[in-house]
Amino acid sequence: MNTAPTRPALRGCLDALPLFIPALPFAFVFGVVVAEAGIPAWLGWSSSPIIYGGAIQVTLFTLIGEGASVAAAVSAALIVGARHMLYSVTLAPRFQNQPSWFRWIGSYVLIDQVFVLSQIKPVDEPVAFRRYFLAAGFTFWILWMTCTALGVALGPQIPAHWRLDFAAPVLFVSLMMAASNRPDKLGAAALATALTYLLAPLPNRSGMLIAVVITVVIMLLLPRKVNP
Amino acid sequence: MIAIAIILTGIGSYAMRAFFIFALARYTFPPVLLRALEYVAPSVMAALVISMMTTPEGELVAGAAECAGLICAALAARYSGNHILALIAGMAVFWGVTWFH
Repeated sequence: MNTAPTRPALRGCLDALPLFIPALPFAFVFGVVVAEAGIPAWLGWSSSPIIYGGAIQVTLFTLIGEGASVAAAVSAALIVGARHMLYSVTLAPRFQNQPSWFRWIGSYVLIDQVFVLSQIKPVDEPVAFRRYFLAAGFTFWILWMTCTALGVALGPQIPAHWRLDFAAPVLFVSLMMAASNRPDKLGAAALATALTYLLAPLPNRSGMLIAVVITVVIMLLLPRKVNP
Repeated sequence: MIAIAIILTGIGSYAMRAFFIFALARYTFPPVLLRALEYVAPSVMAALVISMMTTPEGELVAGAAECAGLICAALAARYSGNHILALIAGMAVFWGVTWFH
């Protein structure tokens, strides 16, 4: 893997493409959720550019379909997306020596895969970082807009028993391993796995965020043995 | 009403992503915080995987096929560093174990 890209924009596109594969079946799941909630296809799809976050969009429409109030559906969807605040903190130092337009636009495309790419492919030079981040971010964006449009138009095209949805956890395991490039980081991943499982019964997946925060605190309190 | 829900969620999710990027734009990060941030990526990825493998009520939905697939994907990622290869290995083992049963 090239960690010092000579053409950061191209690198960003190419790194993003394979990570989109698991989002493809998810886009069709989204189409089914919109149809089952009785929402017009165009209105459902409008959430792709307005919200831009697969799990947040699916949570919102699932709850609306179940007859939840706007306040309940919106707050549940936002709790599901609350991990993005951690991404915002984590990337804040990288956004410091950047122009403010990049803060506005970069925040908009900050999704799981873009965050983890920015962490596992560190590009130090500010201009290169910006190009890499925007290229990866908008590659996902264009694909998500296209695929959710297909999803709401076509509905379930991929048979559910193929279990293509399992590609999502498989990809995130792979990304987790790439992000755990030091023994202490691998330890953090293991700890977060256990804590998220223990806290899984908490409502709206809020246990996930709590598990991550506890993990980070425990890792800081542990004696430094392997840290550089 | 649905349009309002979409717009409110859009504003909220953008605000969550942008908040600290703007709030900490001129903040000098102490070394201990920078060290803490290094653990966010591996922890969140692990937490996402567990969230995907549990029901909203917190029940684990991973059988033998799921576990085998995820372990193979982790090993493939660890030794190849290639996400496509890890994806293929994980899915192949998952499908293989599912059909074998």
